[in-house]
Amino acid sequence: MFAIFSSLSHHRRLLRDFVLRDLRARYVGSSMGFFWSVIFPVVNLFVYMFVFQVVLETRWTPGQTPSEVALLMLSGIIVWQCFAETISRCTNTLAENQNLIQKVVFPAEILPVYLTISALINMLIGVAIAAIGVAWFAYGAEPDVVASAGETGQTIMRPIGLGPSLVTLPILMVLQAIFTLGLGYFLAAFNLFLRDVYHVIGVAMSVWMFMTPIFYPAEMVKKAGLSWVLQINPMYWLIDSYRKVLIYGVWPQPLTLGVFAAVAVVAFLLGSRFFLAQKARFPDLL
Amino acid sequence: MSPASLTAAQTTSRAHGAGSSAILCRGLGKAYRMYQKPIHRVWELLVPGLRKHTDFWAVRNVYLDIPPGSTVGIIGENGAGKSSLLKLLTGITRPTEGELHVNGRVASLLELGAGFHPEFSGRDNIYLNCSILGMRPDEIDERFPKIVEFSELGDFIDRPVKTYSSGMYVRLGFSVAASVDPDILMIDEALSVGDEHFRGKCINRLNEFREKGKTILFVSHDMGAVKSMCEHVVLMDKGEVVGQGTAEKVADEYLKRAHTRGNERLSALNRGGSTYPRWGSGEIEVHTVELVGAKNQVTHVFRTGDPFLVRMRFKAHQGAKKPVFGLGIYRSDGTYVNGTNHDWRREPIVLDEIRAGEEGVAELSVPELPLLVGQYYLTSYLYDHSKPAPTPIDQQEHVVTFEVIDADRQQHGMIYMPTEWRVKWSGPDRKEERESRA
Repeated sequence: MFAIFSSLSHHRRLLRDFVLRDLRARYVGSSMGFFWSVIFPVVNLFVYMFVFQVVLETRWTPGQTPSEVALLMLSGIIVWQCFAETISRCTNTLAENQNLIQKVVFPAEILPVYLTISALINMLIGVAIAAIGVAWFAYGAEPDVVASAGETGQTIMRPIGLGPSLVTLPILMVLQAIFTLGLGYFLAAFNLFLRDVYHVIGVAMSVWMFMTPIFYPAEMVKKAGLSWVLQINPMYWLIDSYRKVLIYGVWPQPLTLGVFAAVAVVAFLLGSRFFLAQKARFPDLL
Repeated sequence: MSPASLTAAQTTSRAHGAGSSAILCRGLGKAYRMYQKPIHRVWELLVPGLRKHTDFWAVRNVYLDIPPGSTVGIIGENGAGKSSLLKLLTGITRPTEGELHVNGRVASLLELGAGFHPEFSGRDNIYLNCSILGMRPDEIDERFPKIVEFSELGDFIDRPVKTYSSGMYVRLGFSVAASVDPDILMIDEALSVGDEHFRGKCINRLNEFREKGKTILFVSHDMGAVKSMCEHVVLMDKGEVVGQGTAEKVADEYLKRAHTRGNERLSALNRGGSTYPRWGSGEIEVHTVELVGAKNQVTHVFRTGDPFLVRMRFKAHQGAKKPVFGLGIYRSDGTYVNGTNHDWRREPIVLDEIRAGEEGVAELSVPELPLLVGQYYLTSYLYDHSKPAPTPIDQQEHVVTFEVIDADRQQHGMIYMPTEWRVKWSGPDRKEERESRA
């Protein structure tokens, strides 16, 4: 357990270099690299608004404005994409870095870590855009549908806005990192035993995504009597907490967060233990 | 090295300063697990005690004691376990059995440019690669200018590595690797790349290492290269050390093995030789082509300077007028080395007629084979010269393969030429002249 932390601290410089290289690879390869990272979430935001509000006419809960729903979707998808991308990259990372593992004495345990950190840093761009969106629709734009809903006597539930609860954002990100790493460590090592894992993961992640209330409200699942699906899905707990903090400016539920933290730590312990136990065999398994 | 990677197998220690050897192995062995199906690995993982694999011993029973400051060559055929042994010594893989003690900081050149990222410039890749090789940031900054200078990449250093030629890639990789300042340097045939000029620089760098009293371990299948570099040679075969000692002593053993091994391998190759084209009118058939070497033995392996004789056995199914036997010698890459027949000569042999049912041999003999190291093949020709334009009776492409080996490697290229060297120099007080005829 502590072996992994002492190794990471021993290799912090190498880890930093890998993170920087990965971040630059995201933005350097194309001429407008950083610009893309900004533009994608913005475009996504409008696409979701259009598809789910105009085309499919999804109503989340009465009284919610299109902008609120779009922001909910955006925040969900940002967190999910960061998670899914890291898991998928972690699964393949040992195979991808075969050269390093077979030809150099290399601390393989930094690979999932750098992928996680780099993805989280990249996620911050999306988080910032979501926050700007919240500020814009909550304080900037003229109140449209909300106002009319208020006139017809409907109560406005949880108006969007930013609040002091934003300070919990780093905590959420750390917990997300721990959870992601746990799964990532396990899958990275397990993929060497069975290369099909990488392909299965692609499918599994999209199933998991649609099981998680990202494009639809959690209430719909609860109404259908399937709340247990939500109760066993840590990513729902996480995304729900992010939304509370980022969209509504309220504090996340301590219980949800506590349970997620416990699950994350257990996942990390098991995953990293499996990874370290098999590490000596990596060069042989590749 | 990470603390995690320090915890090697139970009996392995990679401690610093213990003992007086740079590398000490006692009964070192490495078994790779071979599975029939990938899923069997998972079953073994899930069910404790289940055994679904067979062991393949890549290295076994290796005893080595390498004193600090020595230059040791490890040679052997492909698949003899050289690289597996090197991976054990560098600490990349863990031994399955035995003891291994390595004293000092190890740098290994198993592959140049491992971990280069194609999108990034040479400069960025130098930094990351140095980091991967375990250099401290201050060391990297200090050595960076030297690395750039050594690589001779010029302005290319700031361009993405993906735009590099393979030669430039290798140069960059070696420059980084050469800048590591280890106590023990392990090299796996990394020098066989790059142009002559750069190879020369690499060898200079290795000589500097040697002069500084560092330990060098050098793996190669090129006996010549090993002999010129190493005072001590370890010969491996089928995962075991089958000989070690001075370069001269081990070289003989190596050649003896190469002889038998070469014969086995090439005869296996020749059996399948019928896939090469064969054509002609077929009145006479060349049914066997034999190669005869020193001591009148049939062989497929020759040394440069050996007597070399090709014997073509033929049988006439029908009569033929003025048949002519010929042979073409080609190097394995297809280079046409030599072609002769017994008609187009100052003293031709003219066979007026071979009658149906007659048998015989046609021999081409070369008193001293002038070919240098490499693989060669023969094409046999049997042509009817009774007509104005010769027509084929029996032509067989690639009829037999042979290998030329050379322990001394005094000459490079394809052909041995008797050479004389003369050096003259003079000054105000002396006049010197040296000659070498051998």
